Amino acid sequence: MRISTSMMHLNAVNAMLQRQSAVAKTQSEVSSGLRVQKPSDDPVAAVKIMQLQQAKSANTQYGTNITSATTRLQQEEQALSDSQDILQRVHELAVKANSSALSSSDRQSIATELGELNKQLANVANRKDANGEFLFSGLSSSTQPFARNASNQMTYSGDGGSRAVQIGAAQYVQDGDSGSDTFVNIPQGNGTFVLNGGSTNTGTGVIAGSVQNSANWVPDDYTLTFTSPTSWTVTDSSANVVSSGTNYVAGTAITFNGVQVSVTGAPAAGDTFGIAQSRSQDVFKTIDALTAAMSTGQGDDAGKAKFQNQINQVMQQLDSTESHLSNVRTSVGARLSMLTNVESSRQDASVQIDSSVSAIAGSDFAEASSRLAQQLVSLQAAQQSYVKVAQLSLFNYL
Amino acid sequence: MCSMLSTGVSGLMAFQQSLDTISHNISNASTPGYSRQTVNLSAAMPQFSGGGYIGSGVNATTVTRAYDDIVAGQVRSSSSAKSQWDAYSSMADQVNNLLGDSSTGLSSNLQSFFNAFQSVANSPASSSERQVLLSQAQTLTNQLKAYGARLTELDAQVNSQLNSEANAVSGLAQSIAQLNAQITAAAGRGGNPPNDMLDQRDKLIDDLSTHINVSTVKQDDGSVNVFVGSGQSLVIAGTAAKLTATTDPYDVTRTTLSLQTGNSSTTDITNALTGGGTVGGLLSVRSQVLDPARSALGQVAVTLTDLVNNQQNAGMDLRGAAGANMFSVGSVDVLNNRANSTNTSPTVTRSNVSALTGSNYLLTKTASGWTMQDAATGANVTLSGAGTVGSPFVAAGISIVVNGSEATGDRYLIKPTTAAVASMNVTLTDPSGVAAAAPIIAAASSTNTGNASITPGVVLNASNAQLRSTVTIQFLSPTTYTTDGGTTTNTYTAGQAIALNGWQVNITGTPATGDTFTVKDNSTGTGDNRNALLMANLLNKNYVSGGTKSVNDLVGTWVADIGVKSNQAQTSLSIQTSLYNDNIAAQQGVSGVNIDEEGANLLRYQQAYTAAAQVIAASNRIFDSLMQAVT
Repeated sequence: MRISTSMMHLNAVNAMLQRQSAVAKTQSEVSSGLRVQKPSDDPVAAVKIMQLQQAKSANTQYGTNITSATTRLQQEEQALSDSQDILQRVHELAVKANSSALSSSDRQSIATELGELNKQLANVANRKDANGEFLFSGLSSSTQPFARNASNQMTYSGDGGSRAVQIGAAQYVQDGDSGSDTFVNIPQGNGTFVLNGGSTNTGTGVIAGSVQNSANWVPDDYTLTFTSPTSWTVTDSSANVVSSGTNYVAGTAITFNGVQVSVTGAPAAGDTFGIAQSRSQDVFKTIDALTAAMSTGQGDDAGKAKFQNQINQVMQQLDSTESHLSNVRTSVGARLSMLTNVESSRQDASVQIDSSVSAIAGSDFAEASSRLAQQLVSLQAAQQSYVKVAQLSLFNYL
Repeated sequence: MCSMLSTGVSGLMAFQQSLDTISHNISNASTPGYSRQTVNLSAAMPQFSGGGYIGSGVNATTVTRAYDDIVAGQVRSSSSAKSQWDAYSSMADQVNNLLGDSSTGLSSNLQSFFNAFQSVANSPASSSERQVLLSQAQTLTNQLKAYGARLTELDAQVNSQLNSEANAVSGLAQSIAQLNAQITAAAGRGGNPPNDMLDQRDKLIDDLSTHINVSTVKQDDGSVNVFVGSGQSLVIAGTAAKLTATTDPYDVTRTTLSLQTGNSSTTDITNALTGGGTVGGLLSVRSQVLDPARSALGQVAVTLTDLVNNQQNAGMDLRGAAGANMFSVGSVDVLNNRANSTNTSPTVTRSNVSALTGSNYLLTKTASGWTMQDAATGANVTLSGAGTVGSPFVAAGISIVVNGSEATGDRYLIKPTTAAVASMNVTLTDPSGVAAAAPIIAAASSTNTGNASITPGVVLNASNAQLRSTVTIQFLSPTTYTTDGGTTTNTYTAGQAIALNGWQVNITGTPATGDTFTVKDNSTGTGDNRNALLMANLLNKNYVSGGTKSVNDLVGTWVADIGVKSNQAQTSLSIQTSLYNDNIAAQQGVSGVNIDEEGANLLRYQQAYTAAAQVIAASNRIFDSLMQAVT
């Protein structure tokens, strides 16, 4: 084939230009450490990298969310722990009150302390988190949850909602519990029924009871009435007689609708005892009831029995409240421990994403530098051969 | 002896001419477009004498150039393709570079924007988190607008390049026509080819082929006719047509190319010019990369806006009011054809964002009604409805209301998303306006004795007027309930959804007779983040293309599409470049000057010349010998 002189130069120059551009590309790959720098370098990888980086960014956000939820749950746990301490003291005072050797001034001082404890508990329940939101007002987080109304009843102004925080692609955690779930909706009595003595009782009867067969229980408010010291009837809320008996011996069981109650002491004719279905009762009301019982004197035997009925009810309610708070706290603890686990696997995932990105986008340094060396050698060869060939001319010998 | 002298002289003259031509070749060894020339020598007619035919020397008949039409045609077509991909890939690269850095890319800003919703969800009452969200919204909007502006700028660049290409083509055509005329005149004299003029003209046609795809037909008189596009004549012998830059019938900002012969009217040949040269590259990069990129970017903006605004509307802001729109985008672009009989345009709105396709459409009034085609593919799109306000034409996510005064043949170009980005804005400026909360909340009554629980509720239809009215769900028995004291008794199935007034709740568990649940206005729910969580997950919500693609998918497709096209353009360019280099080598193999070859010829003719001179000297000595013998 004929080669024209200008073509010889052109070919050599083209060869050098091509090698130079290859060297430049490899050099930029080596210096940046990235194989894919623009979408056109590898469109499929570019989109994959984009998705991975988004996943990483979302993952980082989940980390922030986990921290935020952890902080809030820790604050809640502290509040719950403080509440438990307060209830512990209330319980101690109730036990002390239950001992008969108390003077009226002792009772008065217990009542005063109970009042203070109740205020302390309200303060805990009205605590705010770091962002100034009330911890226990549900979703109405700028509404103070607990306040006393005109008739000195503690009322709840928050709602029953709770907030979820996203901690994974499809994973959410509740970052709090509403005041109604924590302090208000505590089942009364034993969870099935609650016992109380009639306020006008003149006898010394003290009632106790338990559930025998919950399947037979028909929720309603029942009244046990002694028509004489030994004859009794149990009526439901519509005054229908559910059960009745005569020749009652103190302490023996009265059984109806799957429950069993017994009255010790000597009930007088006309004395009544309530066996009401269990509803919910807030913790403040429970302490209020104890305070009220402390404030009223015990007086005669009938008064003592009345006090006993009241204190029995309060003690049972305190047990129920403490176990309720402990359940809430356990659930918070479980969520905190889950957050710890999720955070640790989140960090693993983040490292995993980084390594995937570098596997797809990153340059293989060993391969790239050996390629660079090869390309440099070939550029040199092109330059050297050009110089040699260009020198050859017939005219050198003419 | 007389003939010996004249034979010697003929040799001297012929070799002189050969040496002249060799010097010409050497001088033009580096001239672009030059074809090496050779002097064709032939023996002169012999003279008859008794002894037979005696030769009478040599004649230099013609000087010809080494030129191969087929090889030259190959060079032209490959240089045309090379310049096409050159123009295409340099423009596609600019778009590609725009998306280059993944850390500042669109996808990363989108993710940051939606992450900001998560931060709002963590503390909905915090105004600083809300402020961050609005700043992210602004950053995202700015970036979308910057991309849009850059693409518009590239489009304007294509327009101005097409203008200068048109001038270059017209200038070259003019020069080719002039050379054609000169060649025809020169060829008439003595029948010898005007080699250097031919070279010049062919070089001009080579140059022309880098601008535009050409085909040539050689005429007997030496001139060449040049055709462009699908056979439109640019140069006929000594007359050249003009390629002029005109404007698109729909869009005055868009440059098209038309051919004008003499003073006649112009003919738009834009669509025929996509086949090669810089012009072909510019036109195809405009229709294959820039237009789709702009409408796809618009689709991203429109879809994002629709999703976020709808979710905002379904939520409740910090003040307890229904969420207002967060973004606004430009409306549908409707362009009238210049030839339309009326100046009015149909009213086109995006009625269903999730059904938008990213394509542009051509709406035509025909004698039998209205038809619509995809502007890029020409495929028919079925229109439902009557085109009236009450029953608009609906297709591909847009609805069209025509005003009835249009004449048959009137055409409109509809660009559903292209203009969206340029006027995109963040309309929500007040951080409290972020609708993090849901407008309703459901709760169980605290006096309930059953163990049933209710979900907080979700909004199905934010525009229901009764959405935030209080509704009480009361259980008449563990299996039946009424809503809001109504007389209709509904059967309760645990876990089944209860929908009313635009919301939906689920009750699970076993309710007791008399238990009540209330769904009410959540106006105090400043700590609610239900709507913010829904917002945070919109990025990957399958929404468009029949619920199969998310905003994220749209962005991914957009980036991949541009990457693939840019990558293909680079590959095509490198293939065409090496093909072009091969063709040039072949062409140079035929026409190129080799200095060594010329050097050898120089020696050969120098020696021949010396020998011919010796013939004259010998002839002289023979004559002298004769004279001496006679005297």
